[in-house]
Amino acid sequence: MPTFFDAWHFDGKSAVRRKVEVQTVGNQFYLAELERRHGPFAFADLEYAGEQGDASVYKMGGNDGWRLGLVGNVPTELVPHLPAKKTYGGWIDRLGIGPASAVFAIVSAAVVAVVLFSPQWLAPLIPASVETKIGDALIGDFGGRFCSTPKGKAALAKLTNALDADPRDLQVEVANIDMINAVALPGRKVILFNGLVSQAKSPDEVAGVLAHEIGHVREKHVMQGMLRQMGLAVVLGGFDGNGGSTLNGLLSTTYTRESEREADDHSLKALKSASVSPIATADFFRRLSAMDGSAQMREGKERAMASYTSSHPLSDERRKLFENSVIKGKAYRPILSSDEWTELKTMCAQDRKVKSGWGFDFE
Amino acid sequence: MSDSQGRTPSAVTFHGSWIDFAKIALPNVLLTLVTLGIYRFWATTRERNYLWSKTRFIDEPLEWTGTGMELFIGFIMVLFLLGVPFAILQLVAQGMIFQGQVAIAAILVITMVLAIYYLTGVAYFRTLRYRLSRTYWRGIRGGSDDQGLTYGFSYIWKNFAAAIPLFLLYPWASISLWNERWNLMSFGPYRFESNARWTDLMKRYLLFYLVPFLIFAGIFIAGVSAGMSGGGGGNPFDSAGGIAAFTLIIVGVLAMYILVPIAALMYYSKFFRVAVGGLRLGDLEFEFKARSPDWILYWLGNIAIMGLAYGFAFAPFSAFVFASPEQFAQKIEAGETFMTAGFIISALIAIIPLAFAASIIRYRAWKFFAVHMEAYGEVNLDHLTQSETEVSSHGEGLLDAFDVGAM
Repeated sequence: MPTFFDAWHFDGKSAVRRKVEVQTVGNQFYLAELERRHGPFAFADLEYAGEQGDASVYKMGGNDGWRLGLVGNVPTELVPHLPAKKTYGGWIDRLGIGPASAVFAIVSAAVVAVVLFSPQWLAPLIPASVETKIGDALIGDFGGRFCSTPKGKAALAKLTNALDADPRDLQVEVANIDMINAVALPGRKVILFNGLVSQAKSPDEVAGVLAHEIGHVREKHVMQGMLRQMGLAVVLGGFDGNGGSTLNGLLSTTYTRESEREADDHSLKALKSASVSPIATADFFRRLSAMDGSAQMREGKERAMASYTSSHPLSDERRKLFENSVIKGKAYRPILSSDEWTELKTMCAQDRKVKSGWGFDFE
Repeated sequence: MSDSQGRTPSAVTFHGSWIDFAKIALPNVLLTLVTLGIYRFWATTRERNYLWSKTRFIDEPLEWTGTGMELFIGFIMVLFLLGVPFAILQLVAQGMIFQGQVAIAAILVITMVLAIYYLTGVAYFRTLRYRLSRTYWRGIRGGSDDQGLTYGFSYIWKNFAAAIPLFLLYPWASISLWNERWNLMSFGPYRFESNARWTDLMKRYLLFYLVPFLIFAGIFIAGVSAGMSGGGGGNPFDSAGGIAAFTLIIVGVLAMYILVPIAALMYYSKFFRVAVGGLRLGDLEFEFKARSPDWILYWLGNIAIMGLAYGFAFAPFSAFVFASPEQFAQKIEAGETFMTAGFIISALIAIIPLAFAASIIRYRAWKFFAVHMEAYGEVNLDHLTQSETEVSSHGEGLLDAFDVGAM
């Protein structure tokens, strides 16, 4: 039984707007003009295309530009034949925006939680050989920048042996780069930059920093950090530009700060068992805090913001930690003899074959 | 049958309201936030559905038929086809630097930069093509059969050539690229013709180009003469002339921040009038009527909106930090998870006003273009038949990837 209904129609072939009546025949319909009739079309091929003024607009799968606009209230006979209207998109319309948002929020929180926490148990599963390969691929021989003299290396080995129970799988190097820094890298590699070694006031100070980096290796922070960074980059990749990277930065620095604390704890334990006083390391952080300004940030907003945005605990905080760990009356002894210390300190200067800097003249 | 309504008040009219738009933008922001950004493709589509449907050309509204899914697919494609290889290349380059192979690393990096530049050009082209192919008017759409691969090369060499004479040929590069792009586009059966002339732009460009020098020279001359008139050496603050010179420097710095953007907007204004004025489609000619004051007001409005949004964005932060800064600092340093969670949540909340403001600015941009766009001539509806151009299925992936989202 055909029904009539006022509607407009574009056939997608030309831009002419046609005033038509909808004639329903079972699951199909015709669009009738005064002298012409278009169709038959199947209701099943109709897709909702939005609202236009007071009309609901439908398009037809496979017919580019075909449009049917039904003006005003659609008669009840026609309603069951028409596809459902869409607002937000498939799933959300079916659930409703409130429940859908809740579901999305829970799923998102779960995904972020997995990315943040899973590296802790994923990292140990990566075989040592794979980690070594990654490390070698990344660093190699550091472009010939590792300093080496027999006596200097011996002093470095003595330092390492005192600070780690089983240092055979560690690779500790001094790189001929004038920066006050040290890094732990994949493949259980620890690199001390020569700037740190040569400006150090005592071997105990270098020991504190080295033990900290060994802490990163032993606590598996390096691979954890890499996995976490990669995971966050993927998960937050949906945000455009700055939003994603800001969140990524906030989340991952929260973690690196914790890792730094763990490494500091490890360092304190190692120093204690080697009977090395942590006071030298505290002094190192005092000099560092004078440089980064955290000693002056006694309190207030500045300090609060800095403690959030920096990847490490503030140097000033770390100084206190090491200072407070000094045990009064304990018989501390220097970790290296003064000859050994001189050899280590001047290793890069003595090594004639080592390359310097970054290989280009930025410095 | 032909409609000739070229004499109506305006061929392009906009009927939207920002309050209705906000009802779309706010749920968009919420959904984008809880889906870790993935919903933004659908959000974009909903925004455009609204903007297009509220824009009338002559007697009928435009229709946007792009989908969130195709934008999402484009994004995923670019991520895997370009993002992953580039990330790996970057790691390799870093490794090379570590290992002292600086020359090879430099070649790698230069190749990567060139490739990205080329793809940026291709992306501009394909975005225009995508948008035309998803824009319907009376059931008819636009498009292009060109892939934009040649355009990518033009984009590199024209911009490069423009830079050689100290960027003085920049108007030539941008107009010639505009013409090249539009000449390959069509709507229905008609090809666009674009014959904008870059020489019309030169006076405005030189103004923009010289403003910083003029400000600098002006301050210098005024400063020197003021200093001289004050007479006497010693402390410049001892003489009236010295103080005047000092004031001038401050005025000059402020002028840089005000006059340079205004000069840029004046150039922009001219650019769009020249570029759009050079466009034809069949018997239709186009005009863009916005003049410099319109652009300046538009720009000031956007700045005000962003300023407001930043105010709102930092409110939760401030409440969190300023309530008790000392306690806050201590708790953070003690690594209290509650505080960390609070901080991250306020960061998330800060996204809401910023993302909402960005939406409103997109609304303003569209409205600005629709309101100032004008067309003259006749449209023969019988002859305006369906476009035969190929339709790509992956949205704006490329443009999205390079984050150069122009209008």
